[in-house]
Amino acid sequence: MVLTHTTNHSYTHPFPTVTLAFFLRYYSPQLNPFSAHVLSTDTIDSHVDPETGRLHTTRIHLKKSRMPSAIIKLLPASVTGGAGEKSSYVLENSIVDIKEGWMKTESRNLNFTGVLSADNSTLSSAVARPLSPNTWVSTTFSYRSSLGSRKTDKAAANEENSRGRFGWISGWGAKRIQSSIESIASNKTDDQIIKSRDGMKMVLERLRSNGVVAVLRELNRREGKSVFEA
Amino acid sequence: MSASLAPECNEVKERYDTCFLKWYSEKYLRGNGKTDENECASMFKEYQKCLQVALKDRKIDKLLDEAREDSKDYDTIHLKRK
Repeated sequence: MVLTHTTNHSYTHPFPTVTLAFFLRYYSPQLNPFSAHVLSTDTIDSHVDPETGRLHTTRIHLKKSRMPSAIIKLLPASVTGGAGEKSSYVLENSIVDIKEGWMKTESRNLNFTGVLSADNSTLSSAVARPLSPNTWVSTTFSYRSSLGSRKTDKAAANEENSRGRFGWISGWGAKRIQSSIESIASNKTDDQIIKSRDGMKMVLERLRSNGVVAVLRELNRREGKSVFEA
Repeated sequence: MSASLAPECNEVKERYDTCFLKWYSEKYLRGNGKTDENECASMFKEYQKCLQVALKDRKIDKLLDEAREDSKDYDTIHLKRK
């Protein structure tokens, strides 16, 4: 089953600044207080396509899971992916085209895949006016759970041999757990969108008043300072 | 500064991140970032040397492969339908 939810929004900042804020949004909780649930961020690919001049970036974020631990405890390690019971890896792909003035991003869960995938595609566009003071964003969240599907059944069967636990879930319990996970996901979506926008806005404000180099210098200075104070 | 999922890679990651953000804001966004052979390339290599080991140790490389397979299935089912 797939649930989707699309929202539109505009930032009162020019397109290049919004793309920079996207890369900076998990940089530090001091820069974005709404990023405290992000435990780590790593870049695994970054290249400029020589033909199009587009920047392609792939990152992996480790985030504290929003799923209730009661549900996580019912799931086998083959589904949770073993990142620790309360955290999940998120794979983020993005493409920036600075000439045409658009950016596309997509995020998906790496673990919990049999249960829930949150794909979040954002398109920021300066709509043919690169110097426009505003940036338009359209975001689509989609949730898909495939408990009981072919792939998950296979994982479940393996798990049943080793633990005898997931067989029960893929049986009569699967539908119930699936629908409860889907309702949690869609209820939390609005809240999540607001928080992620507020986080972007805080980063954008910092960039408006200082440049990126000044922002980074200030963060490093503060981190350095706190080390000496401790 | 955001951490790496592998604490042993924090230092090389930080050097790369700082370089990338400077390159991105001062060059790419101004239309001067055409090639991969930029000033951050050697730092990225160092960082990946450390990170790839960590991804294997934590079996995240397998999760990545699965995600690629999974998105192929998903595209076939959902995107080809008109």
